[in-house]
Amino acid sequence: MKKIALTLAAGLALAATGAQAQGNYPQRPITMIVPFAAGGPTDVIARIVGDHMSRTLGQQIVIENVAGAGGTTGITRGAQSQPDGYTIMMGHMGTHGAAPALYPNLKYDPAKDFAPIGLAAGTPIVIVAKKDFPANDLKGFLDYMKANADKVNMAHAGVGSVSHSTGIFFNSVVKVKPTMVAYRGTGPALNDLMANTVDYMTDQIVNVAPQILGGNIKAYAIATPERSPALPNVPTTKEAGLPDYEVSAWNAVFAPKGTPPEIVAKLNDALVKSLDDENTRKRLLDLGGVIPSKEERTPAALQKLVESEVARWTPVLKAAGASAE
Amino acid sequence: MGDLVSNLSLGFGVALSFQNLGLAFLGCLVGTLIGVLPGVGPIATIAMLLPITFGLDPVGALIMLAGIYYGAQYGGSTTAILVNIPGEATSVVTTLDGHQMARQGRAGIALGIAAIGSFFAGTVATVVIAALGAPLTSLALIFGPAEYFSLMVMGLVFAVVLARGSILKAIAMILVGVLLSTVGLDLETGEERMTLGLPFLIDGIDFAVLAMGVFGIAEILRNLDHTETRDVVRQAIGRLLPNREDFRQSYKPVLRGTFIGAILGILPGNGAVLGPFASYTIEKKLAKDPSRFGRGAIEGVAGPESANNAGAQTSFIPLLTLGIPPNAVMALMVGAMTIHGIVPGPQVMTRNPELFWGMIASMWVGNLMLLVINLPMVGMWVRLLKVPYHLMFPAILMFCCIGIYSINSLPTDVMFIGFFGIVGYLLIKFGFEPAPMLLGFVLGKLLEENLRRALILSRGSLETFIDRPVSGVLLLVAVVLLVVALLPSIRKGRDEVFTE
Amino acid sequence: MSMSEEGGRDRRGPVRSPQNLAAGLSLVFLAGLALWLTRGLSQGHLNAMGPGMLPDWLAYGVGLCGIALLVAAFLKDGEPLEAWSLRGPFFVVVAILAFAVTIRPFSLGPVAIPGLGMIVAGPLAIIIGGYAAPEVQLRPLLVLAFGLTPFCMVLFGDLLNLPIPVFPQSLAGLMPDGWSQKTILRVLAALMAVAAVVIHISGGRRKDGKIDVVTQPEEI
Repeated sequence: MKKIALTLAAGLALAATGAQAQGNYPQRPITMIVPFAAGGPTDVIARIVGDHMSRTLGQQIVIENVAGAGGTTGITRGAQSQPDGYTIMMGHMGTHGAAPALYPNLKYDPAKDFAPIGLAAGTPIVIVAKKDFPANDLKGFLDYMKANADKVNMAHAGVGSVSHSTGIFFNSVVKVKPTMVAYRGTGPALNDLMANTVDYMTDQIVNVAPQILGGNIKAYAIATPERSPALPNVPTTKEAGLPDYEVSAWNAVFAPKGTPPEIVAKLNDALVKSLDDENTRKRLLDLGGVIPSKEERTPAALQKLVESEVARWTPVLKAAGASAE
Repeated sequence: MGDLVSNLSLGFGVALSFQNLGLAFLGCLVGTLIGVLPGVGPIATIAMLLPITFGLDPVGALIMLAGIYYGAQYGGSTTAILVNIPGEATSVVTTLDGHQMARQGRAGIALGIAAIGSFFAGTVATVVIAALGAPLTSLALIFGPAEYFSLMVMGLVFAVVLARGSILKAIAMILVGVLLSTVGLDLETGEERMTLGLPFLIDGIDFAVLAMGVFGIAEILRNLDHTETRDVVRQAIGRLLPNREDFRQSYKPVLRGTFIGAILGILPGNGAVLGPFASYTIEKKLAKDPSRFGRGAIEGVAGPESANNAGAQTSFIPLLTLGIPPNAVMALMVGAMTIHGIVPGPQVMTRNPELFWGMIASMWVGNLMLLVINLPMVGMWVRLLKVPYHLMFPAILMFCCIGIYSINSLPTDVMFIGFFGIVGYLLIKFGFEPAPMLLGFVLGKLLEENLRRALILSRGSLETFIDRPVSGVLLLVAVVLLVVALLPSIRKGRDEVFTE
Repeated sequence: MSMSEEGGRDRRGPVRSPQNLAAGLSLVFLAGLALWLTRGLSQGHLNAMGPGMLPDWLAYGVGLCGIALLVAAFLKDGEPLEAWSLRGPFFVVVAILAFAVTIRPFSLGPVAIPGLGMIVAGPLAIIIGGYAAPEVQLRPLLVLAFGLTPFCMVLFGDLLNLPIPVFPQSLAGLMPDGWSQKTILRVLAALMAVAAVVIHISGGRRKDGKIDVVTQPEEI
């Protein structure tokens, strides 16, 4: 793209500068774009991790919430910002996995337009149902669904949300087509679930754990290889007989393509250190988050994950006809 | 009862600690200052200031955030009264009479009664929460999509009653507002509706952008046309605080508003937004001389402001007892609690009683702080109105731009307020009122969502709205209200709707 | 429809309420626009309402109101259209646009404006916007711009830490190394405030109470 820079008032040379001394990175606060509203799971993880990273890097990490279009607005802005290490972003399974299938006019390529920094934390997905649902375990749930396919409905937090994508995936694994009921966000969806208005949902543990522990909704299984310490009584999908359904809403830090490798390495180092810190780990685990292992924390591992996620979600979502168009 | 007293004393013990008092004060102060920024409502304020609370302990952090919330609410009312710009959906109603009072030189009285009414409502709401918090949550669970739809229909009827002038034009504006709310990605199917292919319209039009443009910028444009009338404000400043007569006129609206707001605030799904509208409607209907409304009737400020604050407080109930945020602000609080390591949910009451009761007690403390901070500031605000308009409006313009930008960091939002400003200007020239449109916009989203959801769940049967008792009652009330609203105009032939 | 009659009023044609006419026309136009924009959306049926159903009904409703107003415009007396002004809207809109394109890096086609931050966007908004008023005076505007902007810079950028760009990065490059962002912000704000004071003082001592009236140029 040819760009002509406009020179304005005398005394201010306004060409885009890239001439920051990289050896002393970082010299000023770093902006981390969180493409969702403040207070949500991704935002919380970003703040917890960013808090510790600030201390390692010696400069504050400022969270900027740029919500919209399932997270793609914020990620688009991040992808188009200067690759000088002062703008990074927290992407997740939706923005860097499901987005290409959901948004045909997507302005970025998750696998090509970013310099991956590393995985932050994942939030496992739990299959939950209303308290009165006539089944007490996953097997009973699946049997009931197959027998009453046209009477069951599933709640989700809107096209592009984690509960939507993972819900579609669940339906395709189990081979049912329930009526989909959309909500504007997880709060209202949970509300109707508790009121026995809708039947079931698949959502992040952060959102549903309090209600499960409070006895307001039922949990059938958690879609990770191991049980979560936050919900010790909920079996894994493998234990409950549905090993094909394994999905976790991972969150990861990215920088725009072209960010110098030394800066990527510094950011990765800070991220890894925060994941090793006692306090940060505790806060993440309290949320029900899953902390990635040492091998999973490298930029290369993240790149691989992005590519495999895009490959996984695209056929699933396209088959279900789900698209934001 | 003994339980209540001991719980409250535990709570006050926590809330009145020196540190927490200071945090409450700081929160209210900061919240007020940001909330005064045109267009910046409580949600944006809390989101912006959330990072400040990270260094604090959980109870302190939540107390400060709650303070920011009330402060921002009140700051938004201040802007609504002084410059006719609603920062939030709930302040729209305050602009109707509040700003008119300001134009008549009674800004101080409007601000004062808003503060005092809010304080009273907050006190009552605190007691309600403390005493009835847990049982009231079951009320929330009765409300399903059908009930919400009927509630929203009732809300739209309120919007008709709110209109000052021609009812036909008001209805048209409400419909336009609902139409505007459908712009964006369809919730169920993900299809784009009327987005013109523009990416920033995918999530629809932002309320703050619409409100700022249609109220704020349009108001500036209109004032620039009418040089003669705007200087009247500067001359007659008059009394700074409400006097006995004002109180006499206001105390019943405050009581009624508190009651209405408290009930509606409990409903998840943003029932609290209806509080001020309902209160205004009821006051207008009950008043001996309804034509005063829209021209500076103090009841039109006292009632809605109390409803506003009562709703703001009781909307904490679903959050504290169930862990389910009833609106976007509470969702932020959930995030804040999570960041501080507290899992919001039914166990908070039992596992962290100091947090639960401390927060409730600090609600009252926060309300008191607001009164302490704001009543002295009334004089300062009123003096601000004396600034010559040709200097004031560029400042307002800049604040509007900063305010809107800081919500989402999107320059396109800022450009849109210019667009909507022109739209608002045209609307006024054509004799339309912007308030019903804004109301239609706010209710429209909830209306459509719940309509479709109810129909999906009932598999297309329309009877579900009448079969379910609560929904049926609400619809009946709406119909009755609509008839009552239209009757005077049809009978007296004042603002003729149709010429036949 | 009544025929025109000679009378004291200027506008005595068949249109008895020009305001309602304009209002009705605009509503009908809006309804038509909405219907056209949603033409591709499916209506669905009642038990699965499509995305197009509600917007279409609403558009029809709006159109009906528009037609009602048009009818009323011919049958009932109403207000005339108020006088328009082009100056106000023009300058206000330009001011807003100026703010929007300078606060962050902005590019549209071949034109790219680097992000200049509040330090430029603020004064631009104030100064350009000020010209919307017929009785504009440049000097007080400048004082206001250079006085209010540093206040906002410090309040929002420094004290409250909002993620709003305050000054262009290239400006920071001109400052001595080792100065933190906050220091640069405060220094710039102080400089601006000083400039405001200077402009104010150099404006002469015209303390006549007439503020809203165009002041006569000083003779001596």
